[in-house]
Amino acid sequence: MLAFIEAVIRSTLDFAPPIILAALGGVISERSGVVALGLEGMMRLGAFFAAVGALATGNAWAGLSLGILAGGIAALGHAWLSIRWRSDQIISGVAINLVAMAGVTFLVEAMYGNTDTAGSATIGRVSLAFLKDIPILGTLCGHTWLTWIALAIPVAMHVLFYRTSLGLRILAVGEKPAAAATLGVSVSAIRYGCVIASGLLAGMGGSALSIATLDRFSNHMPAGQGFIALAAVIFGKWTPLGACSAALFFAAANALRIGLESSLPSLHNVLPSGIMLALPYVLTLLVLAGFIGRSRSPAASGVPFDTEKR
Amino acid sequence: MTTDIRHSTGSGLFGRLRSLTARLTAPQNHPLLLPLCAVGLALLVCFIAIWLTGRDPIAGYQKMFLSGLGTLRGLGDSSVKASVLALTGLSVAVAFAAGLFNIGCEGQLVAGAIASAFVGQAIHPGTAWIHLPLALLAAALAGALWALIAAWLKVRRGVHEVISTIMLNWTAIYLVESWLVTGPLSARSETGNSLPGTAQIDPTAELPRFFGQRSDLGFAILLAVVAAVLVWCLLHKTWLGFEMRASGNSAETARASGIPVERRVYLAMAVSGACSGLAGAVLILGIHHQYPAVFRTGYGFDGIAVSLIGGNHPLGLLLAACFFGVIRTGGAALQLLHIHRTFPELIQGLALLFIAGRAIMEHVFLRVHERASAAPENPENTGGDAPEKGTKVTQKSEISAPGGQEAAREARSAQGGE
Repeated sequence: MLAFIEAVIRSTLDFAPPIILAALGGVISERSGVVALGLEGMMRLGAFFAAVGALATGNAWAGLSLGILAGGIAALGHAWLSIRWRSDQIISGVAINLVAMAGVTFLVEAMYGNTDTAGSATIGRVSLAFLKDIPILGTLCGHTWLTWIALAIPVAMHVLFYRTSLGLRILAVGEKPAAAATLGVSVSAIRYGCVIASGLLAGMGGSALSIATLDRFSNHMPAGQGFIALAAVIFGKWTPLGACSAALFFAAANALRIGLESSLPSLHNVLPSGIMLALPYVLTLLVLAGFIGRSRSPAASGVPFDTEKR
Repeated sequence: MTTDIRHSTGSGLFGRLRSLTARLTAPQNHPLLLPLCAVGLALLVCFIAIWLTGRDPIAGYQKMFLSGLGTLRGLGDSSVKASVLALTGLSVAVAFAAGLFNIGCEGQLVAGAIASAFVGQAIHPGTAWIHLPLALLAAALAGALWALIAAWLKVRRGVHEVISTIMLNWTAIYLVESWLVTGPLSARSETGNSLPGTAQIDPTAELPRFFGQRSDLGFAILLAVVAAVLVWCLLHKTWLGFEMRASGNSAETARASGIPVERRVYLAMAVSGACSGLAGAVLILGIHHQYPAVFRTGYGFDGIAVSLIGGNHPLGLLLAACFFGVIRTGGAALQLLHIHRTFPELIQGLALLFIAGRAIMEHVFLRVHERASAAPENPENTGGDAPEKGTKVTQKSEISAPGGQEAAREARSAQGGE
């Protein structure tokens, strides 16, 4: 039993980083007032370009940088459309997803003649060998650096939001942009920064799929994880620590499902995997509906800011 | 916004071209110009992309356009793809008309698909006259019910439909594909082992085809056209449709004039979901004849692209659906050039991206319009400030700059007001 729990914790910590990172991207973008529907596409770009970078240089960290950059550039486009041109953020988010989906498939085929890339270098692992023999805590050893980065960033973002003036400005811009602008805060600068940060984070999340969880880009990536991340944003009530916990919870549910399916194949008849897979989304709907707690989106999320309208 | 363009006469080809440009880019033509430019730009970008990757773009485009139209089989494939795209596009457009953004077409499509697959193999009335309508009805109902969950969440719980429909998408996909199709509804062999997908539907539930096995050309495209006409009539010829559009324009105003906005939200989502459900039925009853083990279509998100490229108008989106239906059928032929068959989806996605940047394109159109209509040949065009001859270049910039800014600001405020 202990071995089973340890295995579930271990794979949770392996599954979670992409979701946590993308969800944090969603949090920072939405808290500044820009809807984050393009997470899935940005993750896909990150996953692909991280593999490209890792293959080209043989260095996983160079790949990670390229993956992060790719997500950031996609987000810059999204920011430019939705802030400078006040475009419909939902449409441009969906467009990013569609372009990333088909565009990356085209690029993989053009560059590698296949739908997957070859195996590449992966992000190194943190051994923490001294914990190895302690029960439960032993599960913390041997994860990649990205796992620890993904666990550290939520704390950093929490401090940013609630302990710094910049963070308070971000929250103000997402709730009442007109009031923030009156106080001399540049709404568009804050939003540009936050949307680009969301792309960098989603790109990092995508990179975690292709150079940490796996050692190559595979064409099914990210297989809806961008949308799970969006669910985690809502389930976590648009806060960094909440979104991180929600992402960990969804990853744990997934790890539990896989663990149970391999150790108890007959369970499928009692509790089909489809129900387990749908669980994160159903729970998110229940939270949204107010059956479990209440989740409220930032007031100005999705509304372009117009200086001429107060 | 009105524009008064007096066309210069007798100033040769250049002048005529200029007045044509001025007329084409006039603001009232933007609804037509925008999708054409978006698709044109997308085609251009993709052309360059193929060329940059060292393959032959002309041959590629030839294959892509011709293989979807050239043969009876290709035409059949195109027609089915076009009708699925048109139905999901209609789904998005109906919701849009009522001010709702239905991103959940994919989930509603899956719900409709499994319902039609179930009715197709579970009952045996023996005649297509009963079986086919029942299967279609089941699909429409399932899609509508799935969409109504989002409508209920919006009306009663204040949940934004974009978020709820995304969650409902994945809920439907996982419940159907990883539970119903592999469990309770999976096909069984003689020995009782489960087979991939659901059982084959009866021939009486199949969508009739005009040329038998030779082509899929058949009732699918008729269904899409009828649905488009019905939706257009509903939106523009009935009281209900008027009230739906009024609720979409301004819920407050509509409510103040006595329109039951909440009930119109329910109606719009139900019709929207029914269209997506029918799209699922077309795929099952028209092509697969079972709910297959692997059925990740993505058509739901394509509906958003098709609807927006078609200007959210039933006729416009029907044309857009036909165009993308043809090139997506042609995608299979692209594999001969080692281009992935999803390449046409890139064209579609880019076109949607350019539509998302409509403010930029409209800005450019207006600038071009100002430039072209403020031609030095017809100075009366600029109203009272008729420039004198002689210093053409500086005058032109003087005339066009303030006008351009004004028009752009006007366009932007119109954009913000939407």
